[in-house]
Amino acid sequence: MSAPHVSEPKPDRDALLTRTGTLAVLRPSQHVRGLVPTPPPREGALDLFLFLDDEGAVLAFNGHVDLGTGIRTALAQIVAEELDVPFAAVTMVLGHTQATPNQGATIASDSIQVSATPLRRAAAQARRHLVGLAAEALGLPAEDLTVTEGVVHPRAGGNAGITYGALLAGRRERLLLADEVALKPVAEHRVIGRRMPRVDIPAKATGSFVYVHDVRVPGMLHGRVVRPPYAGVDAGDFIGKSLIRVEEASIAHIPGVVAVVTHGDFIGIVAEREEQAAEAARRLVVHWKPTPPLPDLTDVAGALRANPSDARTLLDKGDVEAARAGAAVKMDRVYVWPYQMHASIGPSCAVADVGPDGAVIWSGTQNPYPLRADIALLLGLREETIEIIRHEAAGCYGRNCADDVAADAALLSRAVGRPVRVQLTREQEHAWEPKGAAQLMEIKGGINADGTPAAYDFSTRYPSNAATTLALLLTGRVPAVNPVFEMGDRTAIPPYAYDHMRVVAHDMAPIVRAAWLRGVSALPNSFAHESYVDELAAEAGVDPVDYRLRHLHDPRAVDLVKEVAARAGWAHRTEPRREVVDGDVVRGQGFAYALYVHSKFPGYGAAWSAWVAEVEVNTTTGDVAVKRVVVGQDSGLMINPAGIEHQIHGNVIQSTSRALKEEVSFTDTAVASREWGAYPILTFPEVPVINVVLMPRPDDPPLGSGESASVPSAAAIANAIFDATGVRMREPPFTPDKVRAALAGEAPPRPPKPEKAKRNWFTLAGAALAGALGMAAVALPMRGTIAPITPPDPTSFSADMIARGRQLAALGDCAVCHTVPGGAENAGGRAMETPFGTVYSTNLTPDPETGIGRWSYAAFERAMREGISRDGRHLYPAFPYTAFTKATDTDLQALYAYLMSQPPVSAPTPDAHMAFPFNIRPLMAGWNALFLKPGQMEADPARSPQWNRGQYLVEGLGHCGACHTPRNALGAEKAGAAHLAGGWVDGWEAPALTSLSSAPIPWSEAELYSYLRTGFSRFHGTAAGPMAPVVQELAHLPDADIRAMATYLASFSGPAMADPAIKAAELNARAESTLRPLDTLGGKLYEGACAACHSQNGPTLFGVRPSLALNTNVHAARSDNLIRVILDGIPSPAARDLGDMPAFRDSLDDGQVAALARYIRSTFAPDAPAWEGLDGTVARLRGMKGTH
Amino acid sequence: MTGTAPSAPTVMLTVNGTAHSLALPGDTPLLYVLRNDLGLNGPKFGCGLGECGACTVLMDGMATRACVTRLATAAGRDIVTLEGLGTLDAPHPVQAAFIAEQAAQCGYCLNGMIMGTAAFLARNPTPTEAEARAALRHHLCRCGTHLEILRAVMRAADLLKAAEGPSA
Repeated sequence: MSAPHVSEPKPDRDALLTRTGTLAVLRPSQHVRGLVPTPPPREGALDLFLFLDDEGAVLAFNGHVDLGTGIRTALAQIVAEELDVPFAAVTMVLGHTQATPNQGATIASDSIQVSATPLRRAAAQARRHLVGLAAEALGLPAEDLTVTEGVVHPRAGGNAGITYGALLAGRRERLLLADEVALKPVAEHRVIGRRMPRVDIPAKATGSFVYVHDVRVPGMLHGRVVRPPYAGVDAGDFIGKSLIRVEEASIAHIPGVVAVVTHGDFIGIVAEREEQAAEAARRLVVHWKPTPPLPDLTDVAGALRANPSDARTLLDKGDVEAARAGAAVKMDRVYVWPYQMHASIGPSCAVADVGPDGAVIWSGTQNPYPLRADIALLLGLREETIEIIRHEAAGCYGRNCADDVAADAALLSRAVGRPVRVQLTREQEHAWEPKGAAQLMEIKGGINADGTPAAYDFSTRYPSNAATTLALLLTGRVPAVNPVFEMGDRTAIPPYAYDHMRVVAHDMAPIVRAAWLRGVSALPNSFAHESYVDELAAEAGVDPVDYRLRHLHDPRAVDLVKEVAARAGWAHRTEPRREVVDGDVVRGQGFAYALYVHSKFPGYGAAWSAWVAEVEVNTTTGDVAVKRVVVGQDSGLMINPAGIEHQIHGNVIQSTSRALKEEVSFTDTAVASREWGAYPILTFPEVPVINVVLMPRPDDPPLGSGESASVPSAAAIANAIFDATGVRMREPPFTPDKVRAALAGEAPPRPPKPEKAKRNWFTLAGAALAGALGMAAVALPMRGTIAPITPPDPTSFSADMIARGRQLAALGDCAVCHTVPGGAENAGGRAMETPFGTVYSTNLTPDPETGIGRWSYAAFERAMREGISRDGRHLYPAFPYTAFTKATDTDLQALYAYLMSQPPVSAPTPDAHMAFPFNIRPLMAGWNALFLKPGQMEADPARSPQWNRGQYLVEGLGHCGACHTPRNALGAEKAGAAHLAGGWVDGWEAPALTSLSSAPIPWSEAELYSYLRTGFSRFHGTAAGPMAPVVQELAHLPDADIRAMATYLASFSGPAMADPAIKAAELNARAESTLRPLDTLGGKLYEGACAACHSQNGPTLFGVRPSLALNTNVHAARSDNLIRVILDGIPSPAARDLGDMPAFRDSLDDGQVAALARYIRSTFAPDAPAWEGLDGTVARLRGMKGTH
Repeated sequence: MTGTAPSAPTVMLTVNGTAHSLALPGDTPLLYVLRNDLGLNGPKFGCGLGECGACTVLMDGMATRACVTRLATAAGRDIVTLEGLGTLDAPHPVQAAFIAEQAAQCGYCLNGMIMGTAAFLARNPTPTEAEARAALRHHLCRCGTHLEILRAVMRAADLLKAAEGPSA
C-alpha cells in the first residue's frame, strides 16, 4: 500500500456489471426485517457479492461494516481461501449502499457467523465455475484440475496452467448464488486459521487511513450542533417542542458564520472554519423551556420497578412455587446493573452533501441501509437517491451517535446548499449517545438440604430500544414516543439445568435514551446467573466450578469450563479463602461462564466464554484491582485466531472497566457525565494480565467473537471479590466506596441525589455599604480645564525616550485595562466592574477627538498625579493615580512621549454606570482629599538601591497595590499592615504578597523573580486571571527591574524557608499518596480532567506542571480563583512556554465543579478548612462576566 | 485555506519539517490548523479538553495535546505529527513496532499512543513495562488494545536501541 491516503473502496456496482472480462456472483436482494428494519427491495433487484475481472482484481462485498474489530481482514481471508487467490488480491467493500448488499445492521456478533456465509459460498461457487472454464480451455476434466494462487492447473503438475484473469478475457460470467455449494475441507485451509495481520493497521499507524472524521470534499463547510437541555432524553411530549428563541445576534461578532439553522429543537451552525463553528455553538444564546424531571436514577432499581412494563414469560418448567416453598434455605437475590456508555474515543462525525434531487452521506454508521431510510424520511427524498458511503470511525461497540450526526449534517447541508461536515463535541457524544441500559435482575429461589438448587425464578427488567435517530425527534418528523423493544431477554435463560425454573422478561420503554451495548442485556443477565450459582455453591459448601459442572450439560461448555479452570490453576475451595497478600490486601479468584445467546428470542449462541478472574482487594480502602484474567473461548472454526485473541483482549479490558468503574450519572433532568472525568474508563496501570485459551474446534462453524468474552466478566470479578473477602457484590461498578460499605455490612452507597437547579443571586454588597457611609458630601469645586494643544509631532520625542516610555507603559499595564479584548491597543472602552458600578477605560491613543491627542504634558501629568482629566473632570480611582503619582517626572515624560507616538485610534469612551453617590464625579475631589497622597516616591536610605528601585516600580507605575491591597468601604487602598495584604479585582482574588500569604511555601526573592519573569514558579504555580497579562507586559522590562521588584516584594514575606524544595516534595508526595480517583465524584474528575497535566506522576507534556499542593489558590480562604480557572481555563497564558489550560465551563456542571474544588481542597490543602457554599460560589462565578 | 480572519497576524509554524505561514487568530486550536489547514489527519479530535490524548503531537520534541494548544503557543515551534514521524513505506521504529504488534483495533487512539510513546522513549529509552503503563496512563483506549500497545512500546524500545547501533 503506497497510496498516500488509504480509503474505503467505493466501486459503482452498476458500472462494474456492465464491464466485459468479468465474473460476478449475485443473489436476489432480500428484505431485511431485523432489529432495525428497512423497506423491501424493488422487484428483481440483485445483490452483488463477488466480482472478478480479467486483470486479476477480486472485489468482495459485505453489508456489514468493520467497527474496528478486523472483519475486513477476516472476510478477505474467507474469500481468498474459498476462491484460492492470494490474500492480498482481495479487496473488501463494506457497507456502501451503492455497492454492497443490505445485510442489516452490524450487530449481534453476526458478521462472521451469519453475514459472511453468502460471501463464502459465492467464492466457492466462483472457483468451481472458473475451474470449469479452465477445463474447457485446457481440454482436461475439471476433477483433474486444482487452483493455486488464482492459477488453474492440473493436479498432476506440469507446465499447463491458466489464470483466472485469462479465463475471464472477453467473458461476462454472471452466476446466481447457489444454495448448496461445497466448501473447502478444513484440512485444505491455508488462509483461514492463519494469524493474519490486519490490512488496515499500517495505514492507521502512519496517519494515512481515512476515517469518516478525515473526509473532506470540495466546498465543504463546518457544522456544529447545539443540543437541547434535556441531554440524553428522547421521549416525552416536550421533545422537539422546547425551543423558545435563538438569539442570533449573540454570535454576530464571530467571523465566518454562514448560517444558523433551527428546526423544532434542532439547532445547527454552519461556518467557514471548524473553530468558528465551534465557538459560535458555544456562544449562541438559546432560550429553552424548562425540562421535566427524570425519575430518580440514583435509585436504578426503584426506577426500573416503577417503569411500566409487560411481563413476558420465556420459560416455565417444573413447579417453581412449590420447589421454593420446600427449599431448605430460601435465597432471594437482587442484582442491579447501572447505565453505562459506549464511550467511543472519537465523538461522532459525518459529512453530507444534499442537493434537491439526492444526497451523499459519508458516515461511520453501523447500519448503512437503515440510516439511508432515516435520511430519506428526514429530508423527504426517495431512498434510491441517497448514497451512504461508510467510513471507519472510532470503535462503537453498539449504537453511538454515528447515525445522529449523519442526520445533523444532512439538515445543515440542505440548509446551506453545500457539503457540511459535522463533528459532535465530546460533551454531546457522552450526553446523547444511546446508553447501555440499566437492568434489574431479581431471583427468587433457594437451595435444598442436599445442596442442589431448589428453584430459580428469574425476572429481568431492561429499558432500551433502537434509539430513533435524534434529528427525526428534534425536528418533530417522528413523534417522540418510545416503542418497547423485546431486548431484555438475551441470555435470560441460565445455562444450568435447574429443575424448577421460570424466566420472565419485563419489557419496558426506555427511561433515558438507550440502545444496544456490547453483550446487550446478556452481560447483566449473566452477571445475575453466574453470581447466583456462585452463591448456591457457597451455600452448599461446594467448590464453585464443581457446582457448575454438576448442573452444566452442554459438552462444549463443560470442556471449556474444565480447560479454563485447569489453565488458570483454579484452587479448589468450599468457602471464601480470604488469602492475605500483604497487610490489608487480600486475594481472590472467581469463575464465571456464559454462552452469549442473542437475537430475537429464543435466539442463538455466539462463541462460548469462561473467565477466571484474580483480584486483590484492599479491605481498608475498598480498592479492587483485577490482576489477571484467564479467559477461554470456543469460537468454532477460527478464521483469524489473531483477530479473535484481539477481540478477547478488548472484551476483557472493556468489560473489566465496566465492572469496576463505569456508571452514568444524571442530574434531575439530564445526563450529567459529559467528559472522561465524570465517566472514567480503565487506564493502562489498571489493565490486568490476560491469558487467552482458544479451544480448537476447526470442524465446527465459525462463531461470532465480538462480544462473548465480555459476558462472564462482572460475575467472575464479583465472585473473586467474594473469594477474597467473603463479601458479595451485587451492584456494579465495584467502586471502593461500595466495597467498603459491603465490608462494613452496609447497603451500597448511592450517589447523592441531584439537586434542583438553584439560582443564586448575589448582590453587590459593596455598593450598599458605601452608599450608607456616604461621601462626607464635600462639594469641592470642579478643577479647571487645561487648554487643548495640537497633537505633538511624534518625531519630536527621541527614540530612546519612546522606548523607555514603552517599558513604563508595560510596567503600568496601561494596555491591559485600556484595550478591549481583540481591539486596538490602548484605545480604551474596556468595562471595569467595581463594587460601585461600571466604569470604562479611556482612549490613551493620541486621537484628537476621542483620545489624548489634545492633552499637553501638563494635562497628562495632572491626570497621572491627581486623577483629573484635561477638561477638569475627576477620574475614578479605578485609574490608579494614587500610585502613579509616585512616578518621577522623567518617567512620566517618557510615558507621555510613548503614548503620544502611538497611532491614533478614534474610539469614544462609553459613559460610566456608577451607583449614587459615586455617579457624581465632583465628589471624587473629596475622595482625593481623603486618600490621595501626592508626591514622588522617596527612597529609604536604610535599604539597598535595588530594594528602593523595586519599591519605586511596585508602588509607583507598577501599582501592584491597586489589586493586591484591600480597599476600604470607599474603594481606597488600606494602609499600614494591610498594604499588599491581598485584595479583589474583577472577581479574582489578588493574593496577599505579605506574610499573610496563604501559599504553603513562603514567597522568596528567587521565586518572585521567576514568577514575574516567566509567569511560573515551581513552588507556587502559574500566573492566571488578571495576573497573566501583567506578566505578559512585564516581559518588556529589563531583568534588573524584575529583580528589583522581587527584592522589594520579598521584604514583605515572612522568613524564608530553609529548604523549600524538600518541603515542596513533601507536600506533593503527601497529596499524591492520598489521591482517591474512584471514591468520589471529585476524585474521578481530578483523575480524568486534571491529572494528565497536574499530577506529579503524569505524562511529560509540553509546558509546566503546576502542582496543586503548592498552589496559593488551593490554600486560599476563598475558592473563587480556583473555580474561575476551572471554568474558564487560562485563555491567554502569561508566557508561551507555560502551555495552555482549557476551560471546563461547557464540560462540567456546577455540582461537578464544586465536587472537583472540594476534592482538590481536601487532597492538596488537607490542613486548610473545607470551603463552604461551593455550589453557590460556582453558580455565581459561572454567571460573572469578568473583564479579564 | 478558507475564512482566515483578515486582521489576524501571521503565525509561522514548522510542521514535519516544512515551514508554514498562517494568517489565523492566536487562539485557534492547533489541532484544527493541523487537520483542516495542513490536511494532516494523524492527530484526532477526541475530547477538546486534553483528557484523552488522541490529538497528541510533538512540539519541540515534547508531547503536546493539540486540542488545547493555541496556535499562539505553537508559533515558531517545531511540530511533528504522526505523518512526520514516518510513512507507510518508511515507518518510524515506534510505528513499525505498533504495526508488528498489531496494536490497534479501531485505531482512533493510535495517533496519541504512538506519539506519546515516541516522546516517552526519547526520555526513557529502556523502560520497564510498569513505566510504560504509567507513561500512557492518560492516553485512553476504549477498544481494549492496551496489552498490544504495551508490547509495541517495549518492542519500539528495542527497535530504537537497535537503530542506534552498537555504539550506544
